Amino acid sequence: MKTINNLVSKVLPKTILYTALLSVLLPLGVLLIWSFAGSWPWPNLLPKTFSFRVMGELFGGYSGALQVLFSSILISLAVALVSILISIPAARAIALYDFWGKDFLEFITLLPVIVPVTAFAMGTQILFIRLNLSDTVLGVILVHIILCLPYTMKILTEVTKATGTKMECQALVLGATPFQTFRYVTLPLLMPGIIAAASMAYIISFSQYFLTFLVGGGNIITFSMFMFPYIQSGDRTISSGYSILFIATSLLVFILFETLMKKYYHVEEVYFFN
Amino acid sequence: MDHSKLKPYVMILPVVLLMGVFIYSLLNTLIQSFGILPAAGLNKWTLSYYQAVLSRGDLFPSLQLSLYYSLVSSILAVILGVLMSALAVSSGFTRKKLFQIFKVPIIVPHLVAALLILNLFSQSGIISRVLYQLNWVQSPQQFPSVLFDSHALGIILAYLWKEVPFVILMVVTIMEKIDGSIGEAAVNLGASKFKTFYSITLPLCLPTIYTSFLLVFAYSFGAFEIPFLLGMTSPKALPVLAYVEFTYPDLSHRPYAMALNGIMVVLSVMLTYIYYRIFKKGQKAKAGEDYQ
Repeated sequence: MKTINNLVSKVLPKTILYTALLSVLLPLGVLLIWSFAGSWPWPNLLPKTFSFRVMGELFGGYSGALQVLFSSILISLAVALVSILISIPAARAIALYDFWGKDFLEFITLLPVIVPVTAFAMGTQILFIRLNLSDTVLGVILVHIILCLPYTMKILTEVTKATGTKMECQALVLGATPFQTFRYVTLPLLMPGIIAAASMAYIISFSQYFLTFLVGGGNIITFSMFMFPYIQSGDRTISSGYSILFIATSLLVFILFETLMKKYYHVEEVYFFN
Repeated sequence: MDHSKLKPYVMILPVVLLMGVFIYSLLNTLIQSFGILPAAGLNKWTLSYYQAVLSRGDLFPSLQLSLYYSLVSSILAVILGVLMSALAVSSGFTRKKLFQIFKVPIIVPHLVAALLILNLFSQSGIISRVLYQLNWVQSPQQFPSVLFDSHALGIILAYLWKEVPFVILMVVTIMEKIDGSIGEAAVNLGASKFKTFYSITLPLCLPTIYTSFLLVFAYSFGAFEIPFLLGMTSPKALPVLAYVEFTYPDLSHRPYAMALNGIMVVLSVMLTYIYYRIFKKGQKAKAGEDYQ
């Protein structure tokens, strides 16, 4: 009886969890192998020959992949930065103030994740042509920010609610200026939420295909757009290689975010959601 | 006007402006769907585009397909995600470094998720190769074509790969908090572990679980990439159908695309509104409001 109990309470959960982890990792492993595959005919389980075609495409110069990657990172960093900058005060207003229209604002900021992205993207066209924003980097950054706001607002509102104003009041009572209070009390307290929200915004922008394609009009090429035709045409080696590059770059940016913030703010816990 | 009363409005101003752009664009889509598109010489309000779209033969199969794969994938994602969260919390797995692996699919874009499924499940994919080694299939053609078929299995699998970890990450934080405080008290008072989970932890997690369902469902219902890359040519998923109509060279054809978008918007906003009402009501009634 004891062994059966042990089996149910210890072994079974572990098995299920490890199976889940494996189903996350296994497809990525195959992706990694494909990215170095030269010829990999059916039914071989491993490639016959390996090649560095991806590296060639990447550094060969004519495809411009590196340039696209670099400008794509810059666009997404800008999106993350601006989303955070405008969400911090707005989240503070929602968390700590009472004002007319607050519920409505909360509902509206939820909409970009609810409404199909096609409906939003196609609707921007006429407005953006009129504002001279279509086919521009600024236009792309703008629509990306809109898509990120539901997440950055939600995360930062929760964090602001959780930290409250007690610590700030203490600092003010002890004679700190409002700026000092913000810089040395509020900001460090918000930092875990800021990192989480910035990471989320970065990845939403970096992954965005359809919206970038429609608003950028093929003029602004991000890395997601660059990858798309390779996936569509079935060039497994190149598309897998670029996918690996995509994932590695995002990981690198996240690690950079976290170490920078940890260095300056001594934040111990960094979290993705809530 | 009192100065301090104005302050929150100043704080929300940039966000409100951007939301204004969003709402304006959305209204543009809807207005065009009613036949107002001056750029194409269309100036009369009409329901004829909706009538035309609703009466075309491929609308209902498309709608059915979109609802089918988004409902199936999000229901499964929530069930599996909550199950994994419960197992991870109760076995202390969340504190392990390995648990961080569940964050990886978040940074993988949907188009790469589609590629992962292609690599695995296409007729020349890894699974068909493994089955050959096991002597179950002799040629790629013998492997059942699970992609691009009417069961939309490829689309569902791709969404599951992305969404189960998403649900886990959303639910696990809140579940851990509840399990650590109230759950412990219940166990101390003599409730069994299973009973505690089922009658205390799970109900308190419900609002988060509903939210994760809504996010996942709304996304998969309206997203373009995965059904475009892994779907059949006919019927097409609704977002794909809308895009095809949108790319029609004649601008006066545009309202058809917008009417399709209009149908999607109405469905998704209706769902959110219902959710919002239930959620807001439920939140007030719940004793566990602190955990929101």
